Amino acid sequence: MTLYEGIALIQEKQAVVLDLGTDYTKFGFTGEAAPRCIIPSQFWCTKDRRYKRVHHYNSTEELYENLVQMLHLLYFRHVLVNPKERKVVVVESLLTTTQFRETLAKVLFMHYEVSGVTWWDSARACAATLGTPIVLVVNIGAKEAEVVAVVHGVPVVHAIQSEPLGAQTLHDNLARMLDEDNNAQLNLEPSVIEDIKVRTCFVPGRQLVAQLGGQCSSVRSVQYPRASGALTVSGRARALAAEPLFDRDREQASLPDAVLRCIRSCPIDTRRALAENVLVTGGGAALPGLKARLACELRHLVSQDPYKDSLHVAKFKFHSSPCEDNVCAWVGGALCGAADWGVRAAPRDQYLREPRLRDWACLLHNTPPDHHHHCP
Amino acid sequence: MAYLIQPDYVQYFCTCGQIKPITNLYFCRHCLKVRCGFCICHEVDSHYCANCLENMPSSEARLKKNRCSSCFDCPSCFHTLSTRATYAPARQDPAAGDAKVENKQPKKMYYLSCFNCRWTSRDVGIPDQPVASGGWPERTNPFANRFGQLLEYFKAIAQQEKQDKLDKERKKYAIRGKYITLTDKTGLTGAMARTTAGLPSSESSSSAIANFVPSQAKEEVEELPEDYHTKEVNLKLITTMPQRLASPEWQAQLVSRLQPIARPLSVKRSQRCRRCDHNLTKPEYNPGSIKFKIELLAYYHVPEVKIISFETIKPGCTTELLLKLTNPTAHEMQISIIQPDEVPEVEEKEEPKSIEKSLEKSLNLEKDTSWRQVIERKPLLPTTIKLHKPELSFTLAQRDDAAEYDDDSHHETNDIILWRKSNKLALRLKVTTDEEAKVGSPAVAILALQYSYRNTVPPTANSPQTRDHVLYTTVAIHLGTVTQ
Ligand SMILES: [Zn+2]
Ligand SMILES: [Zn+2]
Ligand SMILES: [Zn+2]
Ligand SMILES: [Zn+2]
Repeated sequence: MTLYEGIALIQEKQAVVLDLGTDYTKFGFTGEAAPRCIIPSQFWCTKDRRYKRVHHYNSTEELYENLVQMLHLLYFRHVLVNPKERKVVVVESLLTTTQFRETLAKVLFMHYEVSGVTWWDSARACAATLGTPIVLVVNIGAKEAEVVAVVHGVPVVHAIQSEPLGAQTLHDNLARMLDEDNNAQLNLEPSVIEDIKVRTCFVPGRQLVAQLGGQCSSVRSVQYPRASGALTVSGRARALAAEPLFDRDREQASLPDAVLRCIRSCPIDTRRALAENVLVTGGGAALPGLKARLACELRHLVSQDPYKDSLHVAKFKFHSSPCEDNVCAWVGGALCGAADWGVRAAPRDQYLREPRLRDWACLLHNTPPDHHHHCP
Repeated sequence: MAYLIQPDYVQYFCTCGQIKPITNLYFCRHCLKVRCGFCICHEVDSHYCANCLENMPSSEARLKKNRCSSCFDCPSCFHTLSTRATYAPARQDPAAGDAKVENKQPKKMYYLSCFNCRWTSRDVGIPDQPVASGGWPERTNPFANRFGQLLEYFKAIAQQEKQDKLDKERKKYAIRGKYITLTDKTGLTGAMARTTAGLPSSESSSSAIANFVPSQAKEEVEELPEDYHTKEVNLKLITTMPQRLASPEWQAQLVSRLQPIARPLSVKRSQRCRRCDHNLTKPEYNPGSIKFKIELLAYYHVPEVKIISFETIKPGCTTELLLKLTNPTAHEMQISIIQPDEVPEVEEKEEPKSIEKSLEKSLNLEKDTSWRQVIERKPLLPTTIKLHKPELSFTLAQRDDAAEYDDDSHHETNDIILWRKSNKLALRLKVTTDEEAKVGSPAVAILALQYSYRNTVPPTANSPQTRDHVLYTTVAIHLGTVTQ
């Protein structure tokens, strides 16, 4: 490294890390162990006089405006720095739509004139919080649960599993059971449902579920206070809210199935290591008992059809990251962003010349150089 | 006019195509264009605490992670905490006996208390402090240590990667000729640069990699206690999601673990026109002041339109509409009402390409205007309601605060101009609604104003400005809904 470069590094402003989740946005600086803020991904829309969610949009223009408003809130209300001439690390799912990625890039580069953007997929970012070479990342988000195998810093793209088993599924299930328990169409606010889930629900162990049966009469019910009279949260609602995650009836679309399918689709020499390096994370994984239950289900299921003949893994081992579950991907982004000093960031002038992002799904970027389809 | 809780009845079109009430718009005196929050550049001007109104220099704010050192928020309800004083009973020192009388004086001790929800710092076992401000125990992130190890490890890897790449390149160009740079020759400067940049030296980087212990996976996962489901749940002891997220480092799940939240700072923003880089607003530095050093608001420069009253809009009918116009400037204004499509296409012209231009561009001197293509858009104008253009242009007197008290409103009036008073006048306009207009749909009439504007910016050598300009603004007037 030359002296000149060294000076350039000192003057570099600390980059910011952005994880724009469906429900919550995490925002803060690289090199810090926790985000500066975790706020709902919504902003006050003066035009409509209501809170508007960033991920609710019908057109690219609307998404553009949503992102402009959200970033304004993040930069000027929470992190309090100028976006201009500062780098950004974006943490996103590998399955983020091209429309969203490109619009976010446009907003960052053109509207806020940031000097560079690095993209980290959440799977690699989560794996980075462990420092282990091979990790199977089970990330339970707001909408989807994603299972991605990260082998030596590379996500195994063809093995990615994604099922609509995020927090939203739990919330819907909980809302339905609360309606049944109280014999009424309650139409509870999403924030109330979330609060009930976070404060009362848990995931019972495998044996306990079998023991309880469908009724769960031995589980204590809770009176949830509300302005319009207390709400009964029955033992059944408390214990079974997360059951859809383990429901195998729908074409084996349960979470343990997704995990095993992912391992099975990976190269044979990595499977054992993957099973011994599982990281269950994401905001949805914070529910008490969920990780233990998933571990138990995996150990049981691997000895059942259709895995018992095709998948020969004996042991499952689990990691825990040095952070809260809901900020794991963000913390990984803060680590990676601080380590490479933004060298890998796509600079703004390059984007202005050619506004195209690198994307694993695009053949333009991932055709090997010696392949006859490769174009330089 | 804009209202706090009512809908915006009259909205203006910003140059960028956004539609906003006049109170949300700016007017750049240098471009002579209306601007809005969407198309201008916002900048952090100064950091301050909104509770104690203390300024904090930006460098200090960065060190303190944008938090005030003397104000705290309630971790339970987010209201501001107050410092309360109590007298601690004098500690009876058995060894001293009652020899020293002055020691018996009760000592003043302080704790934090919320006047809103009655939470106190004593609830969670924080000891009372002997001084009124500061001194509260600081918490560190429980994961900070491990995070530091990981960070060192990744930095070392990045460092090594870079070194490998450099070495490879050096080998490739082993015979580089006679020009050997200082940094190439002596490893010293390279190492120096590394230490000044805060990077580990190559030896320490390899030791950081060697000493790093990756996370160890465990077979057993922490299970819930056997009797978890039969235990009573006391919601009062479990924190809510907002309480957890208010301190992202700790996210306490139990109320007993909540800690006072150091109050986040706020910023004053200054705003800049993207096109000419001039400030549109610049606040005063004093946090207690709500005044601005620069305040180029559209409200002070663009004629204001208000609705006095209007007849219900019916499909296929011509109805009347009464408007009030105000001239906010200190100069007489010549106004005429025109159709929105008569507003000339004011293309903010791109400079013609020339050799000098491309030279400037290569030197990065040219103003970057790439933002325009993403920010500016053409708004869709509703056309169901047509305005009858009055064959009339009129002058509107300048704002004169003294004239407010004059009573003589003996100006000539006619069919269109109903009354005049100082810098205001009332207009009677006719609008025709399309036969096809859908009943129940919002009725929006679009009209445009052509007005004269006197520029008061002193002309400079490189921008000789004319003083008088003809400007245009387009206004959307909301007339309820189309009814049968
Ligand atoms: Zn605008
Ligand atoms: Zn303060
Ligand atoms: Zn309180
Ligand atoms: Zn300007």
